[in-house]
Amino acid sequence: MSDPDARKNPVSLYKRAIIDAFLKLDPRLMAKNVVMFVVEIGSTITTILWLQALSGQGEAPAAFIGAISIWLWFTVIFANFAEALAEGRGKAQAESLRKMRQDTEAKKLKDDYRIVKNRMPENSDYATIPSSNLRRSDLYYVRSGDTIPLDGEIVEGVASVNESAITGESAPVIRESGGDRSAVTGGTAILSDWLIIRVTANPGEGFLDHMISLIEGAKRQKTPNEIALNVLLIGLTAIFIVVCATLWAFSYYSVETAGFGQVITVTTLIALLVCLAPTTIGGLLSAIGIAGMDRLIRRNVITTSGRAIEAAGDVDVLLLDKTGTITLGNRQAVELIPVDGNDINQLAETAQLASLADETPEGRSIVVLIKELYGLRGRNVGANEQDMEMQFIPFSSHTRMSGVNIGPVSIRKGAADAIAHYMEEEGNSVSPDLKVKVAAISGSGGTPLVVAKNGKALGVIHLKDVVKGGIKERFSQLRRMGIKTVMITGDNRLTAATIAAEAGVDDFLAEATPESKLRMIREYQAGGRMVAMTGDGTNDAPALAQADVAVAMNTGTQPAREAANMIDLDSNPTKLIEIVEIGKQLLMTRGALTTFSIANDLAKYFAIIPAAFITTYPALAALNVLGLHNAILSAVIFNAIIIVLLIPLALRGVKYKPMTAEEALRNNVIMYGIGGIIAPFIGIKIIDLLLVLMGV
Amino acid sequence: MQPGSVPSAFRTQIRPALIIFLLVTVVTGLLYPVLITGIAEVAFPDQANGNLITHDGSVVGSALIGQPFSSPGYFWGRPSATTPYPYNPEHSTGSNLGPTNPELINAVSARVTALRAADQGNNLPVPVDLVTSSASGLDPDISIAAAQYQISRVAKTRNMSETDIAWLIDQNTQTPQFWLFGEAQVNVLSLNLALDDLAAHRISVPAHKTSLIEQEISSPIPGISEKDGFQFILYAVFLILFLVPFGRFMAKVYTGEHTILTPVTAPVERWMYRVIGTSPDEEMDWKTFGIALIVFNILGIIAVFLVQQVQHLLPLNPSGFGPVPWDLSLNTAISFATNTNWQAYAGETTLSYLTQMIALTVQNFVSAATGMSVLIALIYGLSRKSTDKIGNFWVLLTRSIIVLLPICLIISVILVSQGTIQTFNGPVTVPLLDPVKDSNGTLITTQTIPLGPAASQVAIKLLGTNGGGFFNTNSAHPFENPTPFSNFIEILAILLIPVCLCYTYGKMVGSARKGIAILIAMTIIFVPLLGLAIWSETGGNPAFTPLGVNQTAGALQPGGNMEGKEVRFGVPFASMFSIVTTATSCGAVNSMHDSFMPPGGFAQMLMMQFGEVVFGGVGSGLYGMLVFIIIAMFIAGLMVGRTPEYLGKKIEPREMKIATIIIIIPIVLILSGTAVAVLSDAGKSAVLNPGAHGFSEILYAFTSVSQNNGSAFAGLSVNSLFYNIITSVMMVIGRYAPAILTLALAGAFALKKIVPVSEGTLHDHRPLFIIWLVFVIVIVGALSFLPVLALGPVAEYLHIISGGLFHV
Repeated sequence: MSDPDARKNPVSLYKRAIIDAFLKLDPRLMAKNVVMFVVEIGSTITTILWLQALSGQGEAPAAFIGAISIWLWFTVIFANFAEALAEGRGKAQAESLRKMRQDTEAKKLKDDYRIVKNRMPENSDYATIPSSNLRRSDLYYVRSGDTIPLDGEIVEGVASVNESAITGESAPVIRESGGDRSAVTGGTAILSDWLIIRVTANPGEGFLDHMISLIEGAKRQKTPNEIALNVLLIGLTAIFIVVCATLWAFSYYSVETAGFGQVITVTTLIALLVCLAPTTIGGLLSAIGIAGMDRLIRRNVITTSGRAIEAAGDVDVLLLDKTGTITLGNRQAVELIPVDGNDINQLAETAQLASLADETPEGRSIVVLIKELYGLRGRNVGANEQDMEMQFIPFSSHTRMSGVNIGPVSIRKGAADAIAHYMEEEGNSVSPDLKVKVAAISGSGGTPLVVAKNGKALGVIHLKDVVKGGIKERFSQLRRMGIKTVMITGDNRLTAATIAAEAGVDDFLAEATPESKLRMIREYQAGGRMVAMTGDGTNDAPALAQADVAVAMNTGTQPAREAANMIDLDSNPTKLIEIVEIGKQLLMTRGALTTFSIANDLAKYFAIIPAAFITTYPALAALNVLGLHNAILSAVIFNAIIIVLLIPLALRGVKYKPMTAEEALRNNVIMYGIGGIIAPFIGIKIIDLLLVLMGV
Repeated sequence: MQPGSVPSAFRTQIRPALIIFLLVTVVTGLLYPVLITGIAEVAFPDQANGNLITHDGSVVGSALIGQPFSSPGYFWGRPSATTPYPYNPEHSTGSNLGPTNPELINAVSARVTALRAADQGNNLPVPVDLVTSSASGLDPDISIAAAQYQISRVAKTRNMSETDIAWLIDQNTQTPQFWLFGEAQVNVLSLNLALDDLAAHRISVPAHKTSLIEQEISSPIPGISEKDGFQFILYAVFLILFLVPFGRFMAKVYTGEHTILTPVTAPVERWMYRVIGTSPDEEMDWKTFGIALIVFNILGIIAVFLVQQVQHLLPLNPSGFGPVPWDLSLNTAISFATNTNWQAYAGETTLSYLTQMIALTVQNFVSAATGMSVLIALIYGLSRKSTDKIGNFWVLLTRSIIVLLPICLIISVILVSQGTIQTFNGPVTVPLLDPVKDSNGTLITTQTIPLGPAASQVAIKLLGTNGGGFFNTNSAHPFENPTPFSNFIEILAILLIPVCLCYTYGKMVGSARKGIAILIAMTIIFVPLLGLAIWSETGGNPAFTPLGVNQTAGALQPGGNMEGKEVRFGVPFASMFSIVTTATSCGAVNSMHDSFMPPGGFAQMLMMQFGEVVFGGVGSGLYGMLVFIIIAMFIAGLMVGRTPEYLGKKIEPREMKIATIIIIIPIVLILSGTAVAVLSDAGKSAVLNPGAHGFSEILYAFTSVSQNNGSAFAGLSVNSLFYNIITSVMMVIGRYAPAILTLALAGAFALKKIVPVSEGTLHDHRPLFIIWLVFVIVIVGALSFLPVLALGPVAEYLHIISGGLFHV
């Protein structure tokens, strides 16, 4: 992963955030965050009261009002700083991704250009323009050494592309027109050959641009959970406004009826209001959301909506492609089984010969297996038979076999029925032993490949899907979190069932088709579940569009990428699990800080109420359990500083590990609920002691 | 909805509303009280007609209504705060003096002085019940200690033997009912009648007599006796016994399943639904449901208002009461329709029997039924999926009455058996044994005892958590709550439905333990506040101790803070009644809350300020609780990293908006109402007690009306234009805004799909959930009301313990 400049230079990041914290004081911006807006209004009022006090007619000593005002302003600024810092970090991360795409030139093909297969455009066919002038469905041309200016779909050509700029993976990838590898991303570079590309998104509308605008706040929309939480926070703030406003009346009456004391000052009421209002969560709420996106980017996942991240936390069902996610890419040879009494070594040697030229992963795995089990190496075979001319027979869809002819010896390997057909042509019949062994492998979920020499079967190679290490534990963690895993595969039911059992998934969809995937997602959703899936092919697009969280592989086709709401630049299907965790962590951080914020208020009451009413009811001094000297100021300072102290938590998210809802709630209630009650008692006392030491 | 369709939606509900209202009025306002009166006349004629004492062939008084005694030759009863003369049954009232009020301390001091002056040389500590005024002003009893204290004075004055008098006390001592309920107590009127008989040699003292006089006056057992402890356990046992069968019964009634009552109710229901043109299958969306509810309740308010205006033209008005002033009528109409039953009126001096029956008793039924209907609608909303239908208001209303009526019949009869009156006879005038001068110096020789069909009304006022009494002093009045056992039944009646509805809820959402979990959460909040109130009241008032008053509880006296409490209930069960009634939004009282010690008043107010969700009013308590659960589950849901849900229903912005507003409404009403009152002369002038306690009176009033409780720190004079209007507004908003919003919530939830349960689902029945729910309720209540309570009961209490009181 490339480290963005700003991360290397945190000083500039903080400097920027501090400046932004002040710029965000603009009431038009503050009004979006009701809780902090109330604090800003309160700060303004106390500042005016302070000015009034300076002129000698204040309701309280100017120094007191002034100190309260300063710390109220700090409260607002600290909250703004948190948001600005989160924005800065997210932006820096996204900017570094975008940087590569800026100021690139594009070779725009002329409107009358006609595509001819396998023909490079001439210099006269295109004009070089800034990439920002390209529009959707324009065609442009790139060749070796160029940087791809904009996201697009290849319409002609094959090229190797370096996508390390966004994936961090240095190995070049092949991109070609048609099929599942026809999408290219702006900012990646052509290493060889050339491409003609159709622009799929106007500049500024690509995924990255979407994401950057989400972080910058211009287009940052609140997610449903955020709105719901905001409703609660506004509700609490409204309660506290009523509590504080009416408290003046109650204090006035109490002074009147007790016959002595002073009516509570407006400064104290505002201080109380700010302390009670859920400023901790209110101030950090947007930072938490932005930090969630930032965490996603750092895992090389781009999203187009904050809602998708949240939805990820809710996911009940994960649809995972078998290949690449659950199993190691392709099937591997695990065993050689001779038939009809043939010698195992002969089988090994023959099988190796048949696979030498087979460049498919299965073919290579056969060579590896034989090397490991029988010590036979490719060159040994070659050395022994170097006088013979080897003629490799590639796999053809007609015969469905591959192999090699070495002089008169013909060696074939292929699916059981293909070899059976071949043997019958050669006049041999299929022995019962072969049938039994083929059936046994199929029955266990494996794939049998029959090896034949000169028309006679020597034995069977057992090909098997290999489940990734640790995946089973991962799934059982998911199960503890209440997430059901479903394996999607094109395999038949038998094979699918075997692998499903081995991997420990909860369910599987065999012989999957785009339609059956879509149907499955809809069924789950109709049952009230939230479904997440990954996909890369064009035929995944409908299912991706239907899924609640849809992650497209960056290597995927443009339709798949457009149907998805997230793109994984690493094209790593296992990433889905991490995305779910980020989503959960995001919600948990909000919930934990809300609890903390509300639980804090108890201590603040014990600090402020005795101080506010002691002149009327001296007996209330008994409530000053902390023995505070500067109770109100200490509470206000604590309230401001706690925001700063919690910024790292807001940005990092609460510690997350897979556990049941019950355990998660218990841990968070103890940590942030009970901790939230205790912490301010300690914090306010310490601040008060410091203030006393400072002679305040 | 199209424009113009709202008025038409209202219009379509008027016909069914009228028909049902008329039917319910006939059944619950006429048939029900008449039936109870009939049963009473046959089975318990003496009790139903006021337990009148006949002596020498003439009626000399009621065994339940005390008489004033001031001659040194008679035993004196509890001080009475009634006007214009003590023990005036036509104006039952307590003193309502707060514990720190100098007037109270001075009054107690004066009474101690008077007792000492009448009995020179008797320097025993004075039993507290002898110097503190009773809740009703009519308390017929005193403790044995109080009787024994007076032996020497009576003996000296009458020149009789102390042992003979002690024997008389013994003869007139009522032992605890069923060996369990209440303390041993002495009926003052009976004792004095016997005293005269003994003096006139109509009776004589037998040779071997036992006497209690040697016994210690104070017992070393502080606070609660074993017997009291057993009674507490008995409440729990009874409620647990009822929980499942009665909870299930209610669920069956609402879902139309077969119950024991079906043979009777099914034909009636069918006929009714046909007449009003509906059926249980014709369900309503939340708006229609809400409109039906509003139409029906407006009709109720109009009816109660009008009946009060024309009661002088109607029958069953033996005292000839005139029309009620418009503002008081309106306040009473709204108060009963909203299930608040705030008594700005005094029943015995304002309302005719017919008004009590067809206006108030009917509203007691339908306001309770309204609350229960809203709850069932919310349950439907939570348990159904992808529908906009939340039940049929008319059907749920009818079925709620089917639940209430049979239980009311049983409770009424039990109460009559204990002495709760139930008669259409007019007031009875009896001679006073010891005539007394009134405040103008006129000699009063008779006492007029109002009667009426009280039991039928008392039963539903408790069962429906309404709380509006037949008499001014409510369940403190000996005719409403005559014995310790009736008190036990009354407390059970208040708790029965709110407790059992939890089970009904669990049953209807498909998991009984979900309901039990809620019940446990309620209990966890309830028990400590109950403990606080009992601790506070059994401890007595420290200001009395230096005056030579004995407040220690023991075998011979209940002890504790007896100001505003009745001897027959004792301090623990007066305290319990006060917490039960505030917890449930019932608002009936058997003691004067204004005279509780500050921690007791604090507990009562906090009970209401927690949102009346522990256990809350019938229906309304549980739907309020469900709103808290939604808030709690929302925060908890976030903390487990999922979009919050309850019962598989996602809690999204719309639900949070509604739930938050429901929580905010009473808080805003209470605080702003109190603020308006303390800043206006009209508000302040109603205050009886000075200082922080006076502030508590206003705070309590607005807490009570906003939460539709109806109890009061009754020292506050609320029958004024200012209070009648402002409390009416608060009651209407406090009742209907949350109810309608709850229906909206039900509608919103009904439309949702149900997320299946998985390991990621937060279990809503486990201890952790219960603790979390309690935490959320307590923190919301505490954060909203701690500052204001700090200026009321907290300041008052800290003032007492810091010794401030002794400087008064």
